[in-house]
Formats: sequence, C-alpha cells, structure tokens
Amino acid sequence: MSTPAIRTEKLSKVYLSGFWRIPYTGVEDLDLEVPEGTSFGFIGPNGAGKTTTIKTLMSLQKATGGRAWIHGIPVPDPESRRRVGFLPERPYFYEHLTAGEFLDFYGRLVEVPGAERKRRITRLLDRVDLARFRDVPLGKFSKGMLQRAGLAQALIGEPDLLVLDEPMSGLDPLGRVLVRDLILEERRAGRTVFFSSHVLADVEAICDRVAIVVGGKLRGQGTVPELLGHTVAHVDCVFDGVEEGGEGVEAGAEGVRAAPGGSVHKRLPPEDVDRWLDAVRKAGGSVQSVVPAQRTLEHVLLDEVERARPVNAKRLGVLA
Amino acid sequence: MSQMLAVAVNTFREAVRDKVLHSILFFAVLLLVVSLGMQEITIGDQAKVVRGVALGGISLMGGLIAIFLGVGLVWKEIERKTIYTLASKPVARWRLLLGKYLGLWLTLAAEVGILALLYTVVIGSQQGLPSMDVYVAIGMLMMELTLLCAWATLFSTFAAPTTASAYSLCIYLIGHFSDDLKLFGDRSDDPTFKALCGVLYRVLPNLDVFNVRAEAVHGIAVPASELLWALAYGGGYTAVVLLVAMVVFERRDFK
Repeated sequence: MSTPAIRTEKLSKVYLSGFWRIPYTGVEDLDLEVPEGTSFGFIGPNGAGKTTTIKTLMSLQKATGGRAWIHGIPVPDPESRRRVGFLPERPYFYEHLTAGEFLDFYGRLVEVPGAERKRRITRLLDRVDLARFRDVPLGKFSKGMLQRAGLAQALIGEPDLLVLDEPMSGLDPLGRVLVRDLILEERRAGRTVFFSSHVLADVEAICDRVAIVVGGKLRGQGTVPELLGHTVAHVDCVFDGVEEGGEGVEAGAEGVRAAPGGSVHKRLPPEDVDRWLDAVRKAGGSVQSVVPAQRTLEHVLLDEVERARPVNAKRLGVLA
Repeated sequence: MSQMLAVAVNTFREAVRDKVLHSILFFAVLLLVVSLGMQEITIGDQAKVVRGVALGGISLMGGLIAIFLGVGLVWKEIERKTIYTLASKPVARWRLLLGKYLGLWLTLAAEVGILALLYTVVIGSQQGLPSMDVYVAIGMLMMELTLLCAWATLFSTFAAPTTASAYSLCIYLIGHFSDDLKLFGDRSDDPTFKALCGVLYRVLPNLDVFNVRAEAVHGIAVPASELLWALAYGGGYTAVVLLVAMVVFERRDFK
C-alpha cells in the first residue's frame, strides 16, 4: 500500500485567546488520510477548522497535539513541504513584483533550475491566462487575477500534492471553471489535490473523496457515494385532478379531494410518498410525475452541523 | 543557500522600490548638500565642520533607514499575509529570516555606498579627495547599522512596526549613551540603581565603539587593534541578536 499524501493522527490545535489566555479549540483529534492521486475535498462551515488544519499541515502553525505526515515525512520538517504546492485562502502577494518576477521568486524557493524555471513560468502564465500580464506588478491585479497567479505559484515546483484553501473564493464563474479544470487536469496527471471549499456542488463534481469537519472535529470521510449513501433526500411529485384540503383520508395523512382541472405540486419526504399516492388514487386523481432527488453534500453537511450542535455550543461556550 | 539568496534579493528589490525609502534617501542627499552651506555660517575650521556634519548626516540617515526597514522586515510579511506562501515552502524558517536580514543588509550597504559616493563627489569637489580615515569611519558606521538592524529584525519578529520602532530607537539612543549609563551607575550611591546601570551597560550594545567619525574629521588615526576589536564585538553581538530572532521566529504561529 502506498504512503498517503497526507495523514494526521489525533491532530489538535488549541489557541490561547486574549489577555487571560482562554483556550479555544481550532481542531480536535483529527484523523485524516488523503490517498495519493486523489482529489480530496475538505468541507465544513465557517470556523469548522479547515484553515487551521491546512495551516498546521503547511507548518504555519504548530499543532498542540497529535501528529501529521506529508508523503510520510513528519510535519513540520521542511522536507515534508518539498513536493507540495500551496495556495492560501485569499492570497496576498508582493505587490512590488511583476507576475514574471513573482513566479521566478517562488521558483527559486523550490529550487527549480534556471532554464527550466523560465520555461515553466511561460507555460504557467499561459495556463492561468495571465501571459499578457507577465510584466505587470501584482499590485495592479484584480482579486481573480491574484488567485490565478497564486495557483501558478503553487504549481511552479510541479508538486505531487496541491493544497488549496478555498481556491474558488472570490472568483467569477469563468475563474471557477478555470480552477475546476485545473484541479481535474492535475488529478488526471496523477497528482493529489487537497482543497477546502464552500462550493459544495464543485466538490461533489470534482472530488474522489471528501472529509467533513464540523466544530473542529472530523464528522466523516469517504468517497462521495459513501457519504451520500443511496438515500433519497426528497421526492418532487405532481398530481392532477385533485386539490389539497379534502376530508376522508385516514387521520394523520394529507387530505386531497377530487378537483377536475386541479393540480398539486408537492416536495415530500420519501416515507410519505406511498401514502400520498394512495390518497390521490382514492380521490380519483392521477399521478403526473414522481421525481426522487438524491441527497447532496449540502444535505450531508447540514445534517452533520445539526448533529454537532450541542458540541459546537459547548466549544464556543469556552469563550463565553 | 540559493533559497536564502532568493529571499535576500526579493527583500532588497522590495526595499529599493519602496517610496518611503526614496524619500529618506532624498533627505540624506539634501543634508549632504546643505552641509556645504555650513561653511558660510561657521567660525573656525570650516572644512572640518562640513566634513563632520556630512558624516553625521550619513550616520543619522543610515540609522533611520536601518530602523525603518528592519522593523517591518518580518511584520510586513505577516500583516500582508505573504508569509503564508513564503513559510510554506520547503525552506527552514531560520533560513528565511537570515535571507530577509541579508536583503536588508544589502539595502543598507547600497544606501551607505551611494551616500559615501556622494560624500566623495560633493565634499571632494571643495576640499579635495577625502582621506582614508573617512571611509574607515563609514565602514565602522556600516558595522553599527548591521547591529542596529539585527535588533530591529528581532523586534519585528514579535512586535508591530510602531512598537518595534520605539524599541529600536531606544536601543539606538541607549547604544550611543552607553558610556554615560556606566558613569551614572558609578557615581550613584543607590546600590540598586548602580546594579541596574551595570546590567544595562553589559547587556545593551555600546554603539559608540563604532563611532570614529570625530577622529576621521580631525585626521586622527585610530589604532587597527581598536577597530578590529570593535568589529569583533559588533559581529559577535549581531550573531547573538540574530540567533534570538531566529528562535522567536521559529516558534511563531501565523494565524
């Protein structure tokens, strides 16, 4: 079995806040495993601990408990970051540098040899659609352009692992497509992409595996089908020849009565569908359509947030 | 080493493109030129006064630049969040800090070099080529600035620029009154004050050991042993301050 690209074991980060050094848990006992060659989504609500985890992996913060490895090398050994490209959330870069100088600087930091560095800079600027702005200082770039320059910076070392914190944030639809395609290309090239995002539809579309973190704790990880299960979130039904409000159906069931020309549109929980179908038929109506909607990551995440509510309240209560 | 150099070059590039630095340099040049006018209002040896004022101007502006650039060295990276992409590269933090310090030092050396060149041209045009003692004094000033910007770098690893500037200015002032501090202690009858002055005198830098400007102006040769001792003192002290800065920087969390 190959070494995971990222592995954490009971990783914890506790911040000490304010003058009285009140402890606040950022991440608690996080056990994460990101297999090599996968695109891995890291999702959770704001303040869930996504950025804390990423910053700890990138050695920007020190873990207060547990351990982490990147490609089998313990964090924070600088070697653990040797084959990693990182794009932070809302990236800020040296405004005095032009796009070309900026990539040259980061290329030097990851020790890409001179001639190869020049080739990669040209190729990457082209890839993120910034070739025309090679000699423009970053101070004049828009937010979306900076995000794209940041991606080029993360790719300059041709890393085996890309760590992207909210790469879609602040991008227009075209920018989002560019980032999404880039992630897919990297995955196709056999690289590992680990990224956090609030755009769950993109995560669902791009990722092989997903981890959900809520309140600093891991709430689940697996492939997208594993997390979604085979359950149906709800069923959209359209009934003809009936209207709501009729009597005569058994107690507790929804009432419908015959109404020629009438139509009822309902979004039903899966367990209520049979009862409604029976009621409509009994009333002499017809079933126009029954469309089951699969659960999405959004449903899964909302369920996890709901489930974690008491824990979250306790966690935030530390500061209260 | 190549990574450290890349950081140094980037720091140097950022500094020389900084508009505030251009302003300080402009005032330094202005001061140098204005010093020529001093001879019109000076009684006595006018040439010495002009040389003294010009050298003093280089020293003052050098100190300002060292503090101004040094205090923002690390803090700016944190505040602008450029530290996230920098510290996440496969480079040990101590290398990053040394690279930044080296870049700052290069900037200072370039600034002092420009001012020394201007001194040669401006003063030389009136008084003939300056003696070697003047360049020795400028070299010693560079050692002083090396030490001063190590302190500013240390402060920038944990304090905001305003606070770090205040700390650095204190070091600069105390450093130039170090001998007086010892004298105060020696003359005091209060044992606590005497002990405090003794400790401060030993711990804080004595920047006056690098000041041979008066000797240069008056053409008095400073013994080589004295200069070498001062250089060894400055080098050793700088190394210790940078070591502390590296430890602080290593332990920092970037939230």
